[in-house]
Amino acid sequence: MMTQARLCDDGTFRELMSALEAGASDDIERTDRLIREFPDDGRLHFLRGSMLAGIGRSIEALPALRKAVELAPDLVIARFQLGFFLLTSGDAAEALSVWGHLALLEDGHYLRSFVAGLTHLIRDEFGDAVHYLREGIAANRDNPPLNRDMALIIDQVQKLGEASDPMASGDVSATSLLLGQFAPGRTTH
Amino acid sequence: MKALRRGLDLVVRPERAEALLWSRLRFDKRDDAREPLFDRYAPFARKLAVRVRAHSQPENRSDAEQWAYSGLLQAIDAFDPLRGAPFPAFAKPRIIGSVRDGLSRLGEMAAQSSAERRRRQERLRSLKSRAAEADGDPVERLGTIAAGLAIGLMLEGSGMIGGEDCADPGPSPYDSLAWRETQARLEVEIGRLPAPEATVLRQHYLHGLAFAQVADLMGLSRGRISQLHHSALAKLRLRLKGGLHR
Repeated sequence: MMTQARLCDDGTFRELMSALEAGASDDIERTDRLIREFPDDGRLHFLRGSMLAGIGRSIEALPALRKAVELAPDLVIARFQLGFFLLTSGDAAEALSVWGHLALLEDGHYLRSFVAGLTHLIRDEFGDAVHYLREGIAANRDNPPLNRDMALIIDQVQKLGEASDPMASGDVSATSLLLGQFAPGRTTH
Repeated sequence: MKALRRGLDLVVRPERAEALLWSRLRFDKRDDAREPLFDRYAPFARKLAVRVRAHSQPENRSDAEQWAYSGLLQAIDAFDPLRGAPFPAFAKPRIIGSVRDGLSRLGEMAAQSSAERRRRQERLRSLKSRAAEADGDPVERLGTIAAGLAIGLMLEGSGMIGGEDCADPGPSPYDSLAWRETQARLEVEIGRLPAPEATVLRQHYLHGLAFAQVADLMGLSRGRISQLHHSALAKLRLRLKGGLHR
């Protein structure tokens, strides 16, 4: 008989989010405590993975993001971020594989457009890449930090060919820490 | 010439790319992650080898590099990426220690058989043993061995595999051109080899690793490396046959 996964209640989750947004110094410890209590809650693992990625602990971030997708395959933002993390780690093939499920999103969904844009980018199809990334930015009302990341990539593409090193301007992406996407009503899709 | 940037290069963050390799090697037990890590830090190991040699006798450069690479390989296998220390800080004392140990062990006998000579002997053994297994005219077998060695020399001298300090051996402008064209073809053909064979050639000729070290790197036996070396050169010989005799 299948047992129902015990998930962190919304109140507790919101409390955690508030503490993190307020800059709690024990953010990872708090999340770890909740994960021990609710080990099957993909949102908590995603949160942990995002925080670890944000502070440069990439080796630990990856399994946390993977666990999030494994536990919550429909948490599309986690799936997108796992793919994006893999892409920024240089593993385009696995990123595409992780993103495969996002093709099932409805037409016009911003994540679907972002995936299309990044897929064109991997293939060096820069015109199409910019087109789809812009389309995603226009459609995305849920996740402003992600728009900033994609805009940065568009900038990099447009600078391509210039003598300056595109990586020299700083991080390509700040998507690792995406607390904003956990605002009420955005925790699943 | 600077390589053209690709779309993927725009988004890859080097520290994440390296973290992914460590994660694969250490936690997923994937031996194929060892080589890119080795490639990433081989220049670091070479620099340390040069620095240690500068405070010592002017021994064979190749020997010092070999010891540095051994230290690097040991460091890669011992490194715990979760402990917080960056890899160069962890690896540096091990590489320096390995070169110093090598220098102190280097007696007259070892000096007579430099790393360079040992590598050439390994190659010859690899080619001879496989050629001996095949039937056929002894002169033909000798020709096969010679062709294999010639390709090895060419790999050492190629822009891709040899490095900056290899002289162009062509005696005339025409020969020089022909040599360079053949090297360019070699580069293309190496890209078409199965990955394990290409890895053996790259590591043996580019970094000057002994077969035993390539074996450590790839998680294979030394005999298997010798087989892969022979088979890679045999394929290159067949594919280049037309071009070499134009």
